[in-house]
Amino acid sequence: MNEAVIAQMVASGALMGMVYALVAYGFQLTYATSKSINFGQGELVMVSAFICLTLTNLGLPYWLMVPAGLLCGALLGLFVERAAVRLALEQQSEGWILMTIILGLLFFSAAENIWGRDDRPFPTPIPADPIRVFGISVTPVELSVAIGVLCIMALIELFKRKTLLGRAFEAVAADRDAAELMGISATGTVMLSYGISGMVAALAGILVAPITTVGPTMASALVLKAFSVAVVAGLDSGFGVVVVGLVLGALESLTSYYVGSGWREAPGLVLLILALAVRPAGVFGKAAIRKV
Amino acid sequence: MLNIDNLHAGYGTGEVLGGVSLTVPEGALVALIGPNGAGKTTTMRAISGLLKPTRGEVRLDGTPVQGLAASRIARLGLSHAPEGRKVFAPLSVEDNLLLGAYGRLPLFAGFRKKGTASLDRVYGLFPRLGERRRQAAGTLSGGEQQMLAIGRALMAEPKVMLMDEPSMGLAPVIVEEVFATVRRLREGGITLLLVEQMARRALEVADYAYVMERGRIVLEGKPADLQKDERVLHAYLGD
Amino acid sequence: MLKRLLLILGAEILVLAVLASVPLMVDNSFVLGLLTLLAIYGILLIGLDVTVGYLGQVNLAQAAFLGLGAYAAGLAVTRFGTGMVPALAAAAAVGCLFGGVLAFPALRLEGPQFALSTLSFMALTTTALNELESITGGAQGLQVPRPPLAGLVLEAKGFYWLCLLVLVIVWLAMSNLLSSQWGRAFEALRDSPIATDAMGIGTHRHKAVAFTLGSGLGGLAGGLYAFNFQFLQPQVFVYELMVILLLGVVLGGRKSLWGALVGAAIIVLLPNLLSNRVLFQLFSGIGFLLALVAGIRGIVRKSTGPFRALAPVIAMGLLTAGGMVISNTEDWRKAIFALMLFAVMVGLPEGLMGFASRFLTRLFRIESCPLPEPSRLDAVLPVKETGSGSLLDIRELRLHFGGVRAVDGVTMTVRRGSVHGLIGPNGSGKSTLVNVVSGLYAPTSGDIELHGKPLPRGSLFRTARMGISRTFQNLQIFSELTALDNVMVAMKGICSTPLPLVLLGLARGTERRIQTDALALLEMVGLGTEACTPSRDLPHGSQRFLEIARALARRPDLLILDEPAAGLAPPDVARLLEVIRGIHGRGMTIILIEHHMDVVSRLCDIVTVLDYGKVIAEGKPDDVKRNPAVVKAYLGGADGPGEPGLVSACEAAPASS
Repeated sequence: MNEAVIAQMVASGALMGMVYALVAYGFQLTYATSKSINFGQGELVMVSAFICLTLTNLGLPYWLMVPAGLLCGALLGLFVERAAVRLALEQQSEGWILMTIILGLLFFSAAENIWGRDDRPFPTPIPADPIRVFGISVTPVELSVAIGVLCIMALIELFKRKTLLGRAFEAVAADRDAAELMGISATGTVMLSYGISGMVAALAGILVAPITTVGPTMASALVLKAFSVAVVAGLDSGFGVVVVGLVLGALESLTSYYVGSGWREAPGLVLLILALAVRPAGVFGKAAIRKV
Repeated sequence: MLNIDNLHAGYGTGEVLGGVSLTVPEGALVALIGPNGAGKTTTMRAISGLLKPTRGEVRLDGTPVQGLAASRIARLGLSHAPEGRKVFAPLSVEDNLLLGAYGRLPLFAGFRKKGTASLDRVYGLFPRLGERRRQAAGTLSGGEQQMLAIGRALMAEPKVMLMDEPSMGLAPVIVEEVFATVRRLREGGITLLLVEQMARRALEVADYAYVMERGRIVLEGKPADLQKDERVLHAYLGD
Repeated sequence: MLKRLLLILGAEILVLAVLASVPLMVDNSFVLGLLTLLAIYGILLIGLDVTVGYLGQVNLAQAAFLGLGAYAAGLAVTRFGTGMVPALAAAAAVGCLFGGVLAFPALRLEGPQFALSTLSFMALTTTALNELESITGGAQGLQVPRPPLAGLVLEAKGFYWLCLLVLVIVWLAMSNLLSSQWGRAFEALRDSPIATDAMGIGTHRHKAVAFTLGSGLGGLAGGLYAFNFQFLQPQVFVYELMVILLLGVVLGGRKSLWGALVGAAIIVLLPNLLSNRVLFQLFSGIGFLLALVAGIRGIVRKSTGPFRALAPVIAMGLLTAGGMVISNTEDWRKAIFALMLFAVMVGLPEGLMGFASRFLTRLFRIESCPLPEPSRLDAVLPVKETGSGSLLDIRELRLHFGGVRAVDGVTMTVRRGSVHGLIGPNGSGKSTLVNVVSGLYAPTSGDIELHGKPLPRGSLFRTARMGISRTFQNLQIFSELTALDNVMVAMKGICSTPLPLVLLGLARGTERRIQTDALALLEMVGLGTEACTPSRDLPHGSQRFLEIARALARRPDLLILDEPAAGLAPPDVARLLEVIRGIHGRGMTIILIEHHMDVVSRLCDIVTVLDYGKVIAEGKPDDVKRNPAVVKAYLGGADGPGEPGLVSACEAAPASS
């Protein structure tokens, strides 16, 4: 067994894992303020990628397409919040689970019909030729994914630490009522978190589409793995999400090689079930002291 | 400054407040006392907007605010230091205070600079908070958290402040400190509505007081008169 | 009462007769195929409804159980050459097995975690079915010949009747189950898992049963599915199918067997509806008008908010507009389902059957809740002989959480047959103490003994089974159940019939007795006339009385009442006094936490006063009230030390918390 080959695989897989981390960020953002997540986040990634593709085909240069795509992602995120999440939150129910699933299905179907079921290549100005980094051959696109994720992580951490609004986010998560008493609109904060989450999804789409090509199913598998990453890594650990993403990506590559390419998905799925079984409170809620 | 008129409110199908009316004049410290379960905290929540009243009016400096979202009422100049303090545990003392002025400060750059004047005032009032400004609020002692909650409410430079059971769960020595603070605030001219279970303490600092029982005001008057009133004792300890 | 039974039974028999006779009247293989599929999906959705409707959780694994059952049945025939019945049994067994396995990690989960867990399982199953080619044939598919049923080869008609038969059996069994204590227990644990545990009904146990049952039915449906199509491919059993199943359950109506059948019908007919453009436009148009009417009514009557009124209109509007503009509606299938599901979730959350049953009950003026005579109270709550001696011993109990000493060395004895009051100012630890005793929290140190035996710690369920029952300061009623059901469910711990007997419908006698016993308890607290009211519609005061009746259902040795008078108006307080006196008169030992001093004075034999987690006084109510330490604790005097009792209170209080 050639170590170089294994190292290569692990590296490629790990870089792919960074995308999971990116989508997982989206979950952390909305969970942080509202204890809810968008089960249709994968479709958001996919639709944003398609919209960007269309924009490019209409003649928009790449460097304009990206911000436009991010804006669309944000708008989609806001739409999800308004249509699927707000009502359930007001009723203090968990209806948003089904509602976000429904919206995801709607987006999927619309995408299938508007853009077709085939996978299409996604343009990127980044050259395709692999370069060698530490003896491992990596394509610049894959590198761009890693850089993109790290940039987002840095931006979000900056936002959380350096702006009052970021502080307000944490406040709403810590104690919604007390935050309202400070003049922080909890609804507004939730809206914002969904908007940013949508933007992150769009970025994930733009970064990963050149690798996976754009198609209706491009993100369905992705999102489950992002869930795994979010659950295992923990809610507020931005760093943890990246680490777990890397590990999961690497694990998947190895599984694909040693067990069979069809089993690639398995580690993420098994990890998710195990993580939920062992640490159910882990991500989605600290073990709260029950008040009766 | 604050006028409550025939306020009714409840949770679900039950009504907890059955027509509460009270007035807090500008610059006055008004106490709302009564036994547990009387509806004092419910009254505070109905005023600050955490609970929507079913009937009645709440007027802040002449403006009706009943039914508005709590965040809006806060921005209109009402500050509420809630029961149980509810500080933002993972955030630092300074962050908690800055958030208190959320309505007034810019959201991105420069909020620290703009907030400095207010911060200094609060640290002046509570030097211990100044010492612990970078500490996570959740690690503070109960008394310190109460100071933080009060300081946070002051940061908004409110027209009216509501303080809900500041003595709850605190050791007697600390309770002394809290009431000393309340006295100092009163001297500073703040308009304050104070809810307290410790009736005698509250009556000592207040300009005027209301006694609540079972969702209604049953007695009101100057503290000196109420302190001698047997009915206050009765309200708390039955016959 | 008879009217209702006849109408429902009549409807069931009628529908069955129609369904059974169709192949005799119509010789159309297409129709037959649809009906067969209807029966199969009916079984599948009934299984799904157990978790989605009764437990109230989003279960995304049912399609996986369908697939697993299908392959199990297929393999039973292709590998082992079994007949129809063993193959179907294998399918159901495999469904149960995997359901049980998944239930284990999924059991402790709620809401999104549960949904994720099941989603993960779904994806894992698809992968496994695809990859284990040597067993399943992988993506190429598996040919499955239809096995004979006891030697008889089944053609289309015969197979249809078999499916129908299985549906009927499942219907009857589930009908028995869901209208029994089990069904109530499933609903109770959705509404308040804490109260369910406190009533001695193990939430984990019941969730596991519900989930396994649902998955077993899924597996069974899978077996029939395999023999219907006689060809299996893993690509079928995927997420999209799952969403369609959810659509069926939600649209048809949750918590309803009829809802599952109606939902199945919709799923089966939908593709045909879609391929016929005119029909589709007609239906979507009708749907749009209905949504519009309902929306306007909602806004005018102010019964629904603007979003709830308008969103379904917009969704149905899109559907109708789409139907007119788009020619290939088949391709937009998923979007159509999504829009329909959206409109229903927001505008008609109870589904078609929920709506229909309300409508029909009003139309036929059916008495929706026939009641028998209540039992004699003595039979339900026998008078206990008053012994003497202590019932509950608490020694040096402590509970510290994160630096806060909520309970700080409490020693207290509750004598058999007494009403023991527990009072103290806000934050003194009364509720916390009682939460430790009842098992909600595990103590940091100290002993608690009931009848001289140590109590289990940190387990509401086990403590309840030892004979302690309680009410809650923040009400924990089972809000979706009626008052009667609330009390009936609590009796599950003490008179429970084994599951197989329930499925066979042999538990009706016990059911009736439980019902009459529960009625007796409701009458005792003055809620006899409200037995059929959904408990969330009861006024606050009545809900408090309901909790008391429910707590009595288990005939506990010790009853803990946590602020039963909170929020009660004076006439209700008077009634409360009578009720508690009545309970006490039957020899019940009671711990009463209260702030209402009149209640405490009139009822309690002895009162313990807590402050800062410690006992500061104990004695007869009148003595305790005059105790200066107690007065100080409540009113907070600025008196200096020097008064008896005050010094001890000052110095006993802990330093900065």
